[in-house]
Amino acid sequence: MADQPAAPARAGYLRLAGLTKVFPGEGGPQGAAVAGIDLEVAHGELLAVLGPSGCGKSTTLRMIAGLIEPSAGTVEVGGRDITRLPVHRRDMGVVFQSYALFPHLDVFRNVAFGLEMRKTAKSEVRTRVARALDLVRLGHLGDRRVSQLSGGQQQRVALARALVIEPAVLLLDEPLSNLDAQLRGAMRDEIRRIHDETGITTVFVTHDQREALSMADRVAVMNAGRVEQLGTPEEVYERPSGRFTAEFVGRANLLPGTVTATHGAGGGAGAEVAIPGLGTVRATGDAVTPEGRATVMLRPHRITLRAAGKADAGPRGTVLSAGYSGEVIGYRVRAAHDGPELEVEHPAGAGTAFGPGAEVLIGWDDAAPRLVADDGDPA
Amino acid sequence: MTTAVPTAPAPAAPPAGRLRRHRPVLLLLAPGALALLLTYALPLVWVVRMALNRPLDGGAILQTVTLSTFTDVLASSHYWNVIGQTLQLGVLTTVFTLLLSYPVALFLARTTSRWRSLLFALAVAPLLISSVARTFGWMAILGNQGVVNKTLLAIGVIDDPLRLANNMTGVVIASTEIYMPFAILAMLAGFGRLDPELERAAASLGAGRFAVLRRVVLPLTAPGVLTASLLVFVLSLSGYVTPRLIGGGRVFVLATEIYDEAMNSLNWPVAAVLSVLLLLLFGLVVAVHLWAQRVLEARFTGRGRSTS
Repeated sequence: MADQPAAPARAGYLRLAGLTKVFPGEGGPQGAAVAGIDLEVAHGELLAVLGPSGCGKSTTLRMIAGLIEPSAGTVEVGGRDITRLPVHRRDMGVVFQSYALFPHLDVFRNVAFGLEMRKTAKSEVRTRVARALDLVRLGHLGDRRVSQLSGGQQQRVALARALVIEPAVLLLDEPLSNLDAQLRGAMRDEIRRIHDETGITTVFVTHDQREALSMADRVAVMNAGRVEQLGTPEEVYERPSGRFTAEFVGRANLLPGTVTATHGAGGGAGAEVAIPGLGTVRATGDAVTPEGRATVMLRPHRITLRAAGKADAGPRGTVLSAGYSGEVIGYRVRAAHDGPELEVEHPAGAGTAFGPGAEVLIGWDDAAPRLVADDGDPA
Repeated sequence: MTTAVPTAPAPAAPPAGRLRRHRPVLLLLAPGALALLLTYALPLVWVVRMALNRPLDGGAILQTVTLSTFTDVLASSHYWNVIGQTLQLGVLTTVFTLLLSYPVALFLARTTSRWRSLLFALAVAPLLISSVARTFGWMAILGNQGVVNKTLLAIGVIDDPLRLANNMTGVVIASTEIYMPFAILAMLAGFGRLDPELERAAASLGAGRFAVLRRVVLPLTAPGVLTASLLVFVLSLSGYVTPRLIGGGRVFVLATEIYDEAMNSLNWPVAAVLSVLLLLLFGLVVAVHLWAQRVLEARFTGRGRSTS
């Protein structure tokens, strides 16, 4: 696009403002598939939109691509409002969940399609398609039929087809969901590598928190048509803003308690929270209600269990169940006799394994407890 | 067959064992095969035999074996004219039927409307009425005193009635309508590769509506269109009722000519020769169709080295 500014602002290359979609038959703003999304994606950034199915993430992606018309709000790329621009003039590279490769064209012609639509010269088409196929490591398969490719290869062709047009923004809709687990891991690294090599601003939609955390520069957690939290993978995982994010991104014990003291402010804020069965827990964060209540998040793998001797002090618990899953053993532990039930994960093979009924001492990393706003919306 | 077929998955079985293994299948096939033999193969042999006879005056037949009836027919400009009109009717009807049916089939294949089933039923509903009745309907519409001409005369668009019946124009119009349900059904059956996501993918790559239609929708629907074209072409080549009734004795096609030779002129050898020529025409059409289908299929599965 020639009319792009030469040096797009580092922040907000792709900008969504109040983007909303209400499908016919759905009532009111509460029932909107996408309920007013504001989002800015920097030039060259890789943003993951993470959420459960039905949260509106694919609808959002399709509104960016121009495949679904927004009910309200705007989409801007490089400072230019493209909300009303038809799909074929948007300059978006889209990788569909089903790949949507053209079955009547071979791999080369599939990848060349976008360039042919742009009336690119034949010789240039050849070199650029070859380069795109090399980028996804399929250089040798140009004359294959789509039906002769494996799922992973089809995925790469779809990626090459979207990349070869050097789009303003690359959009990936659940790009890995149709691959088996092993291939998924490899493609995750592959997409990240390709993104780093091309530097194309990328938005990808996924329901898999591991995909989002491992690939993205930033993650937008979506729920019920809204962005719950936007931040780096570490922020979203370690300092979730609310109950939904805490439970959807990774697993979490959410423990309500009474605040006995607060200290610090801003990033260094913290509080001491009395939790029945666990005693007083020091947690970071400032999510304290005016009534002095707070919810402490403890990730299962940050909790430690030790065999409890008679003389040991500290919170105690009883193992309710133990589940072996290879790398880790997952325990369910009842704190005290009537305290909360905790999920705990220990690396398998390290330390003692406990059986149901075992009396244990419960401990945790000092840095682990985190206050989470209880938005009263369990995942 | 004393040797095993190379691609047979099971190890070669002795012929007797093979027969025993296939006996249930053969038994199931027998009634159908017998019926086809009696009603199709034997009459066909008889037609070919008749075509080798010579016609005599007054409907008499000279029993002989000669190709002279063939050569007489092929030497006559009248019969070439009949063949020409038959092909003309076939081509025109096929072209118009495809042009009118394609948008309907495409709509039915793509729509997500809850009325879809109803619309589909409506599209093929004409099949519930005999083509004789529908042809009479077209006579009432297209005739000099028909709906079209009366309306146009009344509002003064024309001064003399348009010649829409008793000629090729009328036959093509009526045939087109009559074969449309067949074409729509055949197209829908062949539109399996159509996928709205592919159209969206093409659009995202910069294809406008027309480019999507030309580069994606048309190639993907080509197999269905091909099947429909074969069906309509063959049906209209052998059509009898519509050319007879709407043609008003002025449209001569092979089907009407065969009937006239056999029933009016009692010239059975010539009727048999024309029947054989029509059969050869069918064979040619089917051969072309099979070839086109193979070419088309190779585009989807990879030039003969398909994975199957």
